[in-house]
Amino acid sequence: MDYLVQMKGMTMKFSGVVALEKVDFDLRPGEVHVLLGENGAGKSTLVKMLSGINHPSEGEITIGDKKFSYLTPNMSKENNIAIIYQELSVIDELSIAENLYVGKLPTKRILGIPQVDYEVMYRKARELMDKMNIHRSPGTLVQDLSISEKQMVEIAKALAADARIIIMDEPTSSLSVEETENLFKIIQQLKAEGIGIVYISHKLKEIKQIGDRVTVLKDGRYMGTVDVKDIEVDDLVPMMVGRKVQERFLRTTPMEENPEVLFSVRNLTRRDGTAKDISFDVYKGEILGLAGLIGAGRSETMEGIFGVRPISSGEVYLKGKKLHITDPYSALKQGIAFVTENRRETGFFQNFEIWREISVTTNLKKSKLGGFTGLTNEKQEREQARVYSEKLHTKCSSIDQMTVNLSGGNQQKVIVSKWLAVNSDVFIFDEPTKGIDVGAKSEIYQIMREMVDAGKAVIMVTSDMAELLGTCDRIIVFSNGRVTETFMNADATEEKILYAAVAAY
Amino acid sequence: MNMAQANKKNRMTFGTYWEKFGTLSILLLILIGFSIASPTYFLTLNNIKQIGMQSTIYTVLAFGEFFAILLAGIDLSVGSVAAFCGAVCAKLLLANCPVWAAVVLGILIGVLMGIVNGTLINLLQLHPFVVTLGTNTIFRGIALVMCDGKPVFGLPQGFKAIALYVGGFPIPFLIVLVMAAILIWFTKYTVAARNMYALGGNKQSAWYSGINTRKYTLLAHTLSATFASMAGIIMTARVGAAEPTAGDGYETYAIAACIIGGTSFFGGKGKPFGVLLGGILIGTIFNGLSILNVSSFYQKIALGSLIIFALALEKVVSNISAKTEKK
Repeated sequence: MDYLVQMKGMTMKFSGVVALEKVDFDLRPGEVHVLLGENGAGKSTLVKMLSGINHPSEGEITIGDKKFSYLTPNMSKENNIAIIYQELSVIDELSIAENLYVGKLPTKRILGIPQVDYEVMYRKARELMDKMNIHRSPGTLVQDLSISEKQMVEIAKALAADARIIIMDEPTSSLSVEETENLFKIIQQLKAEGIGIVYISHKLKEIKQIGDRVTVLKDGRYMGTVDVKDIEVDDLVPMMVGRKVQERFLRTTPMEENPEVLFSVRNLTRRDGTAKDISFDVYKGEILGLAGLIGAGRSETMEGIFGVRPISSGEVYLKGKKLHITDPYSALKQGIAFVTENRRETGFFQNFEIWREISVTTNLKKSKLGGFTGLTNEKQEREQARVYSEKLHTKCSSIDQMTVNLSGGNQQKVIVSKWLAVNSDVFIFDEPTKGIDVGAKSEIYQIMREMVDAGKAVIMVTSDMAELLGTCDRIIVFSNGRVTETFMNADATEEKILYAAVAAY
Repeated sequence: MNMAQANKKNRMTFGTYWEKFGTLSILLLILIGFSIASPTYFLTLNNIKQIGMQSTIYTVLAFGEFFAILLAGIDLSVGSVAAFCGAVCAKLLLANCPVWAAVVLGILIGVLMGIVNGTLINLLQLHPFVVTLGTNTIFRGIALVMCDGKPVFGLPQGFKAIALYVGGFPIPFLIVLVMAAILIWFTKYTVAARNMYALGGNKQSAWYSGINTRKYTLLAHTLSATFASMAGIIMTARVGAAEPTAGDGYETYAIAACIIGGTSFFGGKGKPFGVLLGGILIGTIFNGLSILNVSSFYQKIALGSLIIFALALEKVVSNISAKTEKK
């Protein structure tokens, strides 16, 4: 049997951490080989070896009769490999035709001066575009196209570069049903031409529709390759999710009959349309999870609550008392804490040691006029830093270590300490475990659980399904700036949540 | 492991040493250098007093500039603010205003100009560089208009006394030391200053942590202009006249003093004591080179070289400590 590419024993280590371990993968001409796995399973790590971005620590790549221990982006191109990322790489400011032939524009000479031969370029572009069902003029600027059309341009670009291997990274994630069908039609055409397609997805339904073979990855390990026609889709689920022990941090005791409402949001609306009429409650003793797609308005709603960006209308109540939040300072004063998504940009201070970091909020809380008054107290600040570092098991050489030099998980603990130290009542966590290793993750969940047990309200925005289902007692789903569903953890499934997440688009 | 740790500790203490004593070391080196080059003139009590006097204006301007740079910004208008406030003070004195009132009003004008700078930066959301580049010229223009382009003479003796000596000690330099003491206390012990360091370190994090970034930007520029106004008043007292063109280009010296003194251009790092040393360093260089009969043209070249040298050195040192951190 011919193979377009064969990968054997691919291993990838990032500074000691194994992201991919002895994974085999191959691709035949004219087939769609689905790469299946959850977030962080290693799908992207594997295909980035093909596109030349990741250089494998071990393993061998065979393309035709050539063997490689690694590829560079150029070698990848020379071997007719093209990758279409989720974030499309077409250039908005150029026309479709120019995008297709960027870097190798057809030229002609007039009076000996070389210049772009638009006639040839447009003709060639038109042929490709017809094939891709792009019904536009080749001169149309890409910025005027829909996402689906841009994706088609991207595929056409791969064809223009004579790609024999096309890697598609979750190509349907932002497509409508019709657009998806169109994409599948195109994929069938490509197959007929003998092009091999690596199709990354975690949508099980698509596999039967489009796939020929499927390889499952889990936690960076190879779980097996099967022919799609031999299996039922449901058979794949255990391969994907049967992880070692899915640690769970849910309530171990049932909620009270009529739990006290700690925190409520009523009719929160933002002028920019990112949050429309959002209302929800947080009960005593629960971790509330906020699910939704990227851009569904979860972070924006949280920023509205915290006063980072103004809301146009809506109210926020803490234990029945209406809060007046105009900026983060007033939010802090009234007991709201916000652990932001981007630690580096909005979480900590690059120039502060742990003890100074933690005292930023405590100093603000005790001072007046936005922190203009008041004196610092180094002794007390150091003491509180010691107390919280110990309490949260922050791994640091001392409280004089700079926060920026800590690992992601420990940075996060310092940030959490900052808000614990001001005795906040409501904790908003926005993607709290992003870029944090597994061990520290469980510790963060543990801390959150302790918080709710101590009577604090905890809201967690997360895009990690395992985290959502393993940590949140109740889940509300955002879709296009609205709340579409509420689930108790016991009733929630990945499918139900995803369905609710796309409900309002 | 143990070796590496020990090594790291050693290197870190070198970094800490440099942060603490870097400016002082350069200052000492230069003092020794000039003393060797001109032992008879440089190393005399009179000349040391002279250095104190000469450093005053640079240092006071730098104290203000420090806050603007601490917030990762800059204030290019300090020279003009100084000239304008000096001129206002002089005009008031000629109108028979009591000395204390003229001084207070002169400083208040400075406060006002700082508020103008800070408000423009906040309102227009422009970089302080652009705003103060503009206001620098505007303030200078207003000073020229007010004085009709001519110096204001004939100031009362009581005012000029500000720049005299008390017990053989130059009063201006005494003022500098008092200011330094207050600033050291302020930066070390107040929440407001801590918040400014935070803001300078990461503006976004500051905002997300509850620090009102606009208020502190306003505060920093108000402080900057306030110190500039005091520098302007001292300068007027020392010269005995208010020149509307005085202090032109002095922002360079103020910025230089801050940077040589270890204030980071990226914000959030620096200490008033370092700025004090930086100011004295600049005064010393000008003084020493004058004694060595180096023309003022060459003095400028020397100072410029020193600025680049100091920054390059800091870069080398921080690179070394960053490398050892990684290991």
